[in-house]
Amino acid sequence: MRFQDAAPDARAVVYQNIQADPLVARAAELLADGPGAVRILARAVMNGESVEPERWRTMFPGLFGPGADAADRERAEAVLDVSLRVADRGEQARSQFRGAIVEALTELLLRRRTPDVRRERRVLFDGVRAQVHPYDVTVETVGAAEVLDCKWGARGINGEVLLQLDDARTHAEAEGARVRVALVVFDAYRSCLVRLARETAPADGTRLATIETIGDLATRPAALRARR
Amino acid sequence: MGSPTIQELIARALTAYADLAEVAGSVEEEWSYVDDLRTAWVARLDAVAGARADEAADPAVVDAVEALSTEVAAISDPHRAIDWLSTFPQVALLALGEST
Repeated sequence: MRFQDAAPDARAVVYQNIQADPLVARAAELLADGPGAVRILARAVMNGESVEPERWRTMFPGLFGPGADAADRERAEAVLDVSLRVADRGEQARSQFRGAIVEALTELLLRRRTPDVRRERRVLFDGVRAQVHPYDVTVETVGAAEVLDCKWGARGINGEVLLQLDDARTHAEAEGARVRVALVVFDAYRSCLVRLARETAPADGTRLATIETIGDLATRPAALRARR
Repeated sequence: MGSPTIQELIARALTAYADLAEVAGSVEEEWSYVDDLRTAWVARLDAVAGARADEAADPAVVDAVEALSTEVAAISDPHRAIDWLSTFPQVALLALGEST
């Protein structure tokens, strides 16, 4: 088993510009810490219609109300500002930014645990045709490899993604190696389970990190089961 | 007029949520996902309404649910509505001080 850079194509080149936008890195930094509520705030605003900050402050009294912790409120204001700037980009751009932010956040959190983190990598196995699409994020520590795909919402979970992740796990096993595979979804676990219940692709060996647990990636691999 | 109870407030929220599901349901290939998602989250919100039925809702929470309902009422794109079928209950539960 070995990891390899993905061959760049036209789509990847365009997407690289989004990934490199300072707004993506700033959002990832802000979302890596603080209360989980700021992630729900970011999800709502980046999905939202309104670009009126006061409406969002009203919707999140625990973050912006008089009883809110001062540090949390400061972070929430920064998250609100960044999220509104993403929402203001138009539908297509905001969709690309949201995806790039989840990937950047995942990478940032994993780097707190290990330096062996890479982006956009394929996993090659002897005698097995390589997957067309690279995995979003990989941890390439020998003996403790992880392969992760990132999704903004539960709706992004589909059979193709599940199959590709399971392929990495099962081919590694066939070579006597172990690869942990996971979906990182910036959405609620409950919604992910609903989506996964409709999929017939293998998912029993896949773990989830969701909007409630994504911060745990800084200290341990994704742990939530894909099926109850 | 006094503050609504938690049960009354959640009933209001579920009316807005039902309208949102109506918009989301127009994506034909996602109809069953939309229905399953709605069912799962309504059950969660109903559980909170049952457990805290007679508790008076804090005015800030009432305002939060009203702002949330106003926000989703403006959504006309069914794909965005599908995303909000998951986001809406997360924001509502957070305002109510509940876990997702």
